[in-house]
Amino acid sequence: MANENIIIIGGGPAGLEAARGIADLGYKAILVEKRDRLGGTPDEAQYAALTPDLRNAKEAMDEMRDAVIDNPGVELMMNTTVTGTEGVVGDFKVKAVQNGNPIEIEGGAVILATGFQHFDPGRETQKYGYYEHDDVITLVDAEKMFTADNFVRPSNGEKPKSVAFIQCVGSRDRQIGNEYCSKVCCGMSSKQAIEVRHHCPDAKIYIFYIDMRMYGYWENEIYWPAQEEHKVNYIKGMATEIIKKGDHLIVKGEDTTLRRPMEVPMDMVILAVGMEPSEGTKEMADVFGVNKNKYGFIDTIGGPLNTVSTNVEGVFAAGACTGPADLEDSVSAAGSAVMKAVGVIRKAGVPA
Amino acid sequence: MPIHKKQIIEKESAVVDGIELGPDWNRMFEQRVLTNYDMSGLDKVTSVEGAESMGWCYQCTQCIPVCPVNQAGGEYGPRKIFRELQQGMDLFTNDDLWKCTTCMNCLRVCPKSVDMIKIMPAIREEAVLEANVPAELQEAFENTFEYGNPLGESQRKRADWIKDAGVEVPIMKEKKEVDYLWFVECYPAYHGRGQETSQAMARILTKLNVDFGILGTEEKCSCDSQRLAGEVGLFEEFAEHNIATFDKYKFKKIMTTDPHALNAMKKKYPDLGGDYDVEHYTTMLAPMMDQLDLKNDLNIKVTFHDPCYLGRHNGEYMAPRNIIEALPGVELIEMGRCKEQSYCCGGGGGGMWLDGFMSDHVNERLSENRVREAVETGADVLVVVCPYEISRFEDAVKSTGNEGKLLVKDIAELIDEAMA
Repeated sequence: MANENIIIIGGGPAGLEAARGIADLGYKAILVEKRDRLGGTPDEAQYAALTPDLRNAKEAMDEMRDAVIDNPGVELMMNTTVTGTEGVVGDFKVKAVQNGNPIEIEGGAVILATGFQHFDPGRETQKYGYYEHDDVITLVDAEKMFTADNFVRPSNGEKPKSVAFIQCVGSRDRQIGNEYCSKVCCGMSSKQAIEVRHHCPDAKIYIFYIDMRMYGYWENEIYWPAQEEHKVNYIKGMATEIIKKGDHLIVKGEDTTLRRPMEVPMDMVILAVGMEPSEGTKEMADVFGVNKNKYGFIDTIGGPLNTVSTNVEGVFAAGACTGPADLEDSVSAAGSAVMKAVGVIRKAGVPA
Repeated sequence: MPIHKKQIIEKESAVVDGIELGPDWNRMFEQRVLTNYDMSGLDKVTSVEGAESMGWCYQCTQCIPVCPVNQAGGEYGPRKIFRELQQGMDLFTNDDLWKCTTCMNCLRVCPKSVDMIKIMPAIREEAVLEANVPAELQEAFENTFEYGNPLGESQRKRADWIKDAGVEVPIMKEKKEVDYLWFVECYPAYHGRGQETSQAMARILTKLNVDFGILGTEEKCSCDSQRLAGEVGLFEEFAEHNIATFDKYKFKKIMTTDPHALNAMKKKYPDLGGDYDVEHYTTMLAPMMDQLDLKNDLNIKVTFHDPCYLGRHNGEYMAPRNIIEALPGVELIEMGRCKEQSYCCGGGGGGMWLDGFMSDHVNERLSENRVREAVETGADVLVVVCPYEISRFEDAVKSTGNEGKLLVKDIAELIDEAMA
């Protein structure tokens, strides 16, 4: 008989949705999370509002958490880091360390939901001076400020009169090694531009971009309202660098539709940093012998028609551990992974 | 061609460090680097009721290749205006405010519904109130105000054309009740070539035994183009006059020889209390063509120019074509830019009274651009159904050196010629 428990590694949106789904199907989910809190990056990075619907992030994550906490179909293993695994589909024995003590977790299938990390704009390139200029921040820093309901210039604590977003920082860049589009930053920037408008009604807000990638309903739900109602100015041409001049940041770039160089003073610059695989994603890929792509994300093997299966039978991946993903992608992939995981343990359980 | 040319700036006199410098010494080049996005220009426009959509442009550029002013070398179009506004351009005092002919080709293709047909009149109205209007346009406004028509002709002479019509043209003041009230409009009433069209039209209506009448000296300009050029007050005053005049008489329908009047009566008069069944003369005549017993074989090739205000603005493309098809010995050769994609003669939205102003901003007149296309088709005759066009295109035939190669005729003239 196969072990009918399904082990989920990672307690972010994809892991939480997978655990809920497994319990709903009458199976048992063992949700392993290395932190002492559930909610993944939206929780850890203190997101204020979700993209695209601007729903309060804490409220939304609470709803996901509430669906698994005290759920008889879900066993939570907090402060637990997976270190190794043995066995095959139907009979995995996962080694882990829980609160410093080695433990073993048994299950028939595994869903990896270890997520992403935000690109660090200072690590590979200093052209935007993230670590030099207080008023150059990232989307992540801005989320924390919105959560604290205190969106001000870090340099002086005053409300900015001009704010520029610079798109594609850490994405679509051969030199950095991230050739892919991070998919969510155009939407997040536009969403944040709307939030900046709420905090600073009179500020000038700019988004400097190469291509605005507002696919599907994000176009009409965020991009158009940002421009039409919230007076966000979209300027085609990604800024090249930022230099400090007095109290201001000078954003240097080209205004492509005017074919003119521009050097425009700003009070604050928000770098639209992209997504990279989290350390946990890279580690778990190695632990389970799952292939990674050149960027370190987990390689799924089914192309566009199967986004969750990996090269290891019985090990599935869901959410941003497989590549840039928004919340819609992550929870959808979680559902798909649950379906496939339940499928393999049922098949493995049928006597030969 | 570079969009931004280096501009030399010379001041008559400039004081630098206490020393006065003459023009040769203070000459400098305009800075090429953008150092500011001054959104006040854009904010000022989008805060005007009707002009909000100016701020919606996302620079897809689809408007530029279809903008007739841009095609005539005008470096113009909604996308470009938007970008200039993002740099502090004051549209209220800028020449760009007066270049748009409201041809609607940009709105046809605009995915964001940036509506120049609403934006231009709204901003121009403000400019009119501030008296920032090109002199020649101002003159047309004043003529309209004073004489009831932009040509500055006497109101008493508005029905003089009927004397040479060769048929009786009934006047509503005497007839009181008709099937068709014919709203002639200014150019068909006063302009030489317009009058010939009107006379042909009178003969056609007579031949068809249509029960019709004209307002004659009681008719005043519909002022639709003046409205689109910013004279909203004048438009409303004249609309009220015309509505009050209509309401004195009984009629089933209004037929008009001007698509601009058609546009005003269909879209604006109802809000002012004048809701009428109004149609363009081609829409009226097209289904009646078989009653005309046309015997004269015209033996010509023609091409047809869709007027902006009949086609794009009011959706009628087939009526004129059906008439042309019913004419004996007439072969229609379409121009590439036809129907929805039709080019603009340059006369709409006030362009009729801005030719001098526009000559500083375009490489060729829009009418010249169009006439060259018409000549290329090999047609003998350029057929028009809007009274602005006959004079504009005839001038353009001459100025482009195509005299003798192409005639410009109103569709009514062709019907008249084909009638036995």
